[in-house]
Amino acid sequence: MTFEKLRRIDDTKIEVPLDYKTGMRVKGIIYVDTVLEKELEPQSIDQVANVATLPGVMRASLAMPDVHTGYGFSIGGVAAFHLKEGIVSPGGVGYDINCGVRLVKSNFRKDEVIPKIKDLVTMLYSEIPTGVGSKGRIRLKSDDEKRLLIKGARWAVEQGFGDAGDLEKMESNGCMEGADPSLISDKAYERGKAQQGTLGSGNHFLEVQYVDEIYDEHAANSLGLFHDQITVMIHTGSRGFGHQVCTDFIQVMAKAASKYKIELPDRELVCAPFESPEAQDYLAAMKAAANYAWANRQCIMHWAKEAFMKVFRVSPVKLGMTLVYDVAHNVAKVEEHQVNGKTMKLIVHRKGATRAFPPGHPELPEIYRYIGQPVLIPGDMGRASFVLLGTEKAMQETFGSTCHGAGRVMSRHQAIKRAKGRAIWREMEDKGIIVRATGRGTLAEEMSEAYKDISNVVDVVHKAGISRKVARLRPIGVIKG
Amino acid sequence: MYEIHMRDFEVLDISGDIGIKAFGKDMEEAFVHAAQGMYSLMTDLERVQEKKKIDITVENNSLDGLLVSWLNELIFNFDAYGFIGRKIEVNEFTPTLTLPPRGGGKGEGEVDKIASQPTYKIKASIRGEEFDQERHEGKLLIKAATYHKLRIEKIHGIWEIHVIFDV
Repeated sequence: MTFEKLRRIDDTKIEVPLDYKTGMRVKGIIYVDTVLEKELEPQSIDQVANVATLPGVMRASLAMPDVHTGYGFSIGGVAAFHLKEGIVSPGGVGYDINCGVRLVKSNFRKDEVIPKIKDLVTMLYSEIPTGVGSKGRIRLKSDDEKRLLIKGARWAVEQGFGDAGDLEKMESNGCMEGADPSLISDKAYERGKAQQGTLGSGNHFLEVQYVDEIYDEHAANSLGLFHDQITVMIHTGSRGFGHQVCTDFIQVMAKAASKYKIELPDRELVCAPFESPEAQDYLAAMKAAANYAWANRQCIMHWAKEAFMKVFRVSPVKLGMTLVYDVAHNVAKVEEHQVNGKTMKLIVHRKGATRAFPPGHPELPEIYRYIGQPVLIPGDMGRASFVLLGTEKAMQETFGSTCHGAGRVMSRHQAIKRAKGRAIWREMEDKGIIVRATGRGTLAEEMSEAYKDISNVVDVVHKAGISRKVARLRPIGVIKG
Repeated sequence: MYEIHMRDFEVLDISGDIGIKAFGKDMEEAFVHAAQGMYSLMTDLERVQEKKKIDITVENNSLDGLLVSWLNELIFNFDAYGFIGRKIEVNEFTPTLTLPPRGGGKGEGEVDKIASQPTYKIKASIRGEEFDQERHEGKLLIKAATYHKLRIEKIHGIWEIHVIFDV
């Protein structure tokens, strides 16, 4: 297990060969250029190799350029498994099921919003519950929560949060079919009761941004994006509900793994054969959590719109805040892919990776079918975020997947140490970014220096051809937990 | 003879996530310190008062599983009800129940049933209060305790726990 064993395939990827670790069934491929390769943690390479030992793993265990060490699977990991011989693993999805990102566009331009950005950030902060121990504005009764789990974002629309037209602009239309509320523990229900419509903490955020660079004019047009336009990006997931579903099923899967005699190099890789009742139960519960997350982002978008309307005293039509797209970056899905020239259904695990389907894919909404799936990549709060599009090459190489964000380079404590004696909020303000955060430590932990430069990450996936750049977004206002 | 000075817990620092290294003169104490260490990542414990008591019981069929379930139970009580603990009293701690003999003429299914029964148990009363964003500092939002690099071991007579949290 040494770095020497890694082999560079081309400018954008390296191979983790079969002899890197005993038991590897397929090789590993990590998408990094020579710059990002230097930041690779040995442990995350090991995790890519570990995933390659799991039964039924297809073609290669993959990692995107924002790869870093996770639990079992690395963050930035993608792995697809055969439906007959393969497995399902909660560790391949993560604790924050359907953590994801949505992008909302507006009719406003940067110069119209900047004079009122402080008021706007304050208003967003008061409208949208954020932070540790925050209470949501929605209290779910048991039956409501069950309906929400089945319907996803549609539930939120039915409650008056947003429009039905939003639904087609979400991955899976904001709802995975087959969620089963009867498989959800009482604990998950309890955690989910008051957390619908809450942003959470850590790296979750809501940002007011503007389009500062366009790389593909035609594609930007199709997405309704123009230079200097104000956008809002929301990054959050299924909150405590999803965390509990994962916690519950790690226990179930631990038993299942020994029952089905699956040899595991790491306990966090616990899994069960795709066709087993344990795996099917997990997937039905995971879908419920994914739906909880889509409803969550839908509610938050609605309140963000209201905050804009209050601050700028404009009608919804004049404001023109509509959804561009919403992507999941922690989820497992059954999808059709080509393997050795044959079309096969596989269970694709993406943990800290974004689906990036190409133009013409039947799962894309009609409005985007000819340009490809929008891919939304949030950066750290001080730099930038990106809009990309899925490509055919992603379909061929990465099971239709790409990166999901910047990825940390500094531990939380290192970041706090580095921030000591500094007022991060003021440094941000000097750069023209107004920030409000609940936790005192959050800003230090989440400062730009703590992350890889998102531009490097995005350049690698663009160069590798597994997605292509459309636009860059710069933050001017941020709320965080 | 040297007197052993030890702190109850330390923060384990790894990129992306965070953990606790907890110590105890026995395993029970290390479990308590791991829990207090975890609470200290969530808020400043100095400001938590003992206003309320909750009783919890956790069982699992492995020791690692017991520790993870114990911490996850506390995370659940915080995340669902806002309860944050400060003082922990363990009423029962049975980490080493003997397994009934395997086989013994029983069918295979029977053995499986016995093996999957919980054999490790912790019962505790926790004093603390409901988290209040006005009064309490919100530090880290902990999603779960994980098995990642989990260690429970005795080193030079001291029990030591390493546990990493997903945040």
